[in-house]
Amino acid sequence: MKNTMKSVVLVTGLLARAALWVAGVGLVAMTALIAAQVFWRYILNDSIIWTEPASVMIMGWFIFLGAAVGIREGYHLSFDVMLYLVPERVKLILYSISDTAVAGFGIGMIWFGWQLAAKTAANKLPGLGISGAFDFAPLVAGGILVVLFSIERVARRAAGLPTARFGEDAVEQ
Amino acid sequence: AAASCEITLRSSDTHPDGYPTVAAVNAMGEMLKERSDGRLCIEVFHSAQLGEEKDTIEQTQFGVIDMNRVSLGPFNNIIEETQVPSLPYIFRSVGHMNKVMDGPVGQQILDAFSDHDLVGLAFYDGGSRSFYNSEKPIASIDDLAGMKFRVMQSDMFVDMVSALGANATPMPYGEVYSSIQTGVIDGAENNWPSYDSSGHFEVAKYYTLDQHLIVPEVLVMAKSSFDKLSVEDQALVRQAARDSVPVMRDLWIAREQTSEARVREAGVEIITDIDKTPFIEAMVPVYEKYVTSTVLQQMVADIQATN
Amino acid sequence: MELYVLFGTFVFLLLIGTPVAFCLGVSSFATIAYLGLPPVVVFQRLNSGVSVFALMAIPFFIFAGDLMVRGDIARRLVALAGAFVGHLRGGLGQVNVLSSVMFGGVSGSAAADASAVGGLMVPQMKERGYDVDYAVNITVVSSIIALMLPPSHNMIIYSIAAGGRISIADLFTAGIVPGFLLALTLMIAAWWVAKRKGYPVQPFQGFRMIGTLFVSAAPGLVLVAIIFGGVRSGIFTASESSNIAVVYALLVTFFVYRSLSWNDFVEATLAAVRTTAMVLLVIGCAASFGWLLAYTKVPASMVALLQGVSDNPIIILLLLNVVLLLLGTFMDMSPLIVITTPIFLPVATAFGVDPVHFGVILILNLGIGLCTPPVGAVLFVGCAVGRIPVWDAVRSIWPFYGAAFGTLMLVTYIPALSLWLPSLFH
Ligand code: NA
Ligand code: NA
Repeated sequence: MKNTMKSVVLVTGLLARAALWVAGVGLVAMTALIAAQVFWRYILNDSIIWTEPASVMIMGWFIFLGAAVGIREGYHLSFDVMLYLVPERVKLILYSISDTAVAGFGIGMIWFGWQLAAKTAANKLPGLGISGAFDFAPLVAGGILVVLFSIERVARRAAGLPTARFGEDAVEQ
Repeated sequence: AAASCEITLRSSDTHPDGYPTVAAVNAMGEMLKERSDGRLCIEVFHSAQLGEEKDTIEQTQFGVIDMNRVSLGPFNNIIEETQVPSLPYIFRSVGHMNKVMDGPVGQQILDAFSDHDLVGLAFYDGGSRSFYNSEKPIASIDDLAGMKFRVMQSDMFVDMVSALGANATPMPYGEVYSSIQTGVIDGAENNWPSYDSSGHFEVAKYYTLDQHLIVPEVLVMAKSSFDKLSVEDQALVRQAARDSVPVMRDLWIAREQTSEARVREAGVEIITDIDKTPFIEAMVPVYEKYVTSTVLQQMVADIQATN
Repeated sequence: MELYVLFGTFVFLLLIGTPVAFCLGVSSFATIAYLGLPPVVVFQRLNSGVSVFALMAIPFFIFAGDLMVRGDIARRLVALAGAFVGHLRGGLGQVNVLSSVMFGGVSGSAAADASAVGGLMVPQMKERGYDVDYAVNITVVSSIIALMLPPSHNMIIYSIAAGGRISIADLFTAGIVPGFLLALTLMIAAWWVAKRKGYPVQPFQGFRMIGTLFVSAAPGLVLVAIIFGGVRSGIFTASESSNIAVVYALLVTFFVYRSLSWNDFVEATLAAVRTTAMVLLVIGCAASFGWLLAYTKVPASMVALLQGVSDNPIIILLLLNVVLLLLGTFMDMSPLIVITTPIFLPVATAFGVDPVHFGVILILNLGIGLCTPPVGAVLFVGCAVGRIPVWDAVRSIWPFYGAAFGTLMLVTYIPALSLWLPSLFH
């Protein structure tokens, strides 16, 4: 169990790393786009009309991907004080309830994100000229990773592996 | 017969409390309540409490909220018929616009909402939008050459400004004042009340009344909410919506007059003596790009034929 | 009843350790389901809540802050502060406060400030014979200054939470006098504690040294000027100037200081992604929560409730301060700004408080909350930097809490402290 889990964790670890890198590239791309917009507006005295909607869309990608990785790496703000009072075993059960709730929310991100994308697929996004469904793609993609990483946490716990939490040092692999 | 409300319709508006559209929907609620013996009520969530227009349109389509007062702009990429009244210089005057929207073309647009989980109830007046700038009095199309104007984030408005020979700069409304002040843009375009309330007249004191856009606003209802009502109640809602239109128009005109008086008092130069023909002729490529289907071409012809 | 579902689920999840963003999201989800409305609205609000152009200033300012810490800009600012006030009683404590004024003025993030200034100052203070708890205390509380001085992304969050109709430039300007006042009261507290404990004094390094350090730190100071000058004059929007801050920090650290390696750059980028994703997910989920509050008319009932308690603005403001401090003790800053602004701003304006003034009160108030247990991100960072348990820090922190609270009272009841400076620009 523990060994199977360790190889699963290797894969999810790579996935998280990849998602984080995509998010990082997104942040740099967003910096470049807005820098270009500033340059065009103030130096060339002209305006680019698609940089703003494009960078807002990139921001959606890196927020939802970064947030999903945050579940795995445990860097989301949380409030652990009450849990000091309960025994370790109860604490682990509560953590798993919490991860299940997060997974449920992730399923909502996928399901309803898809619904929104379907409803707006025929619309055209102003400035970009692409389908309105793209607006919700980051939500769905982030949702998939949220579900995956939450399930991983529950499974890790069941296998006796540690899970990362806010305010603690990161758990390797 | 002040029975408590059996059904409360939640209606969204991005304008603040007291704005003509908010007041009109409130007036509609009072009429509805009286005519239904207190059974049907409307509650207006003003000031964009439930979200901006694009978001509340989706909420109405999903039936999360029951009613929504919105501009036609956000519908342009969803319902093609709504593009027609958004075309530049399509209406000769506000009177012309009202006449068209009260007639068969207006009904055709209202009907088009039903394919998108919505019921079109009524059109409200959105005034007419004209250009203002900080540089010079614009009296002819040549004066516009190379100037930079803020427009709303909409492909059609960007193309309109380009076709007039000027540069379009989409930017958030809240940034317009300082951008004009610092010369990042030369001006923007809007109606009297917004020109006044935004304070833009303080920094852009040439207002050219070319009335390029006379776009009505629309009151829609969620189809799911509408279908839940009995046939009699549906009729009551439709009638109350229609009856709120004159209320809205009166409030709007009063507000326009107040704003115009205030702006004129501030010493703004108003340019009315312009020949609009070259402006209208410049729109040919815009019409070619956006009036694509025969349905839309027929609508444009019908509007132009309305006197 | 739906409010019990909303707040009940929220509190339950919070207590079992669910990340705050998901507490907000899941409780909204549960409440929508309870109301029988289509849950799609929760996810639509989440998506629209993060798709706001003005929010872009937040990742940029955080990114710029990370680059400055890794690229040596922060250290030079601290050295300059040392030359100015290092010779005063409790000198390194004073340096710590002044560093926060200079660095915080650039980064705008209390946690970034605490880790940057704390990481540089706490070891030095230990070495020179200061108690660690003193070093941590002052690092923690003085980092609130970063929230008050421009650019503060929390001011941007507030402006957006208030419907985007409050000028960010006005908010930035309004925070300056209160920020300096807080620095002053903290320097007094630092002096007082240092005197009681008999901490050492360093010799004055001389004006020549100040000059040298000034030149070395100048690029960092220019950044402050660009950001503030750009936003205030209206030439740049907050998003644009935050972007310029990133580009400028990159140019300075790559080409002028040559202090940023490729690895530093990658680490700064990934750190900024982590922080931003965390903050912005909270903002997005709070948009769903806020939608439910509006839908269930909570702000209106809150106004009515408080109006029932008293019609004296002084009492109302005190009540608001107490409620915010209590909330801030349990929760973090950005979610609280987004949740409480739509509720409390109408109350405050109904009693004649200017929205800009209220923003300053709110942020100072919640900033104090960041430094208080049980949940204080900045307190945690400070303790992590000093490697001491939270309890050790909190035991001796009260003079600094006192200074911060005193400043809060002054800022609350003297509107001119916040509004005078912006009024000069109108
Ligand atoms: Na400090
Ligand atoms: Na706190």
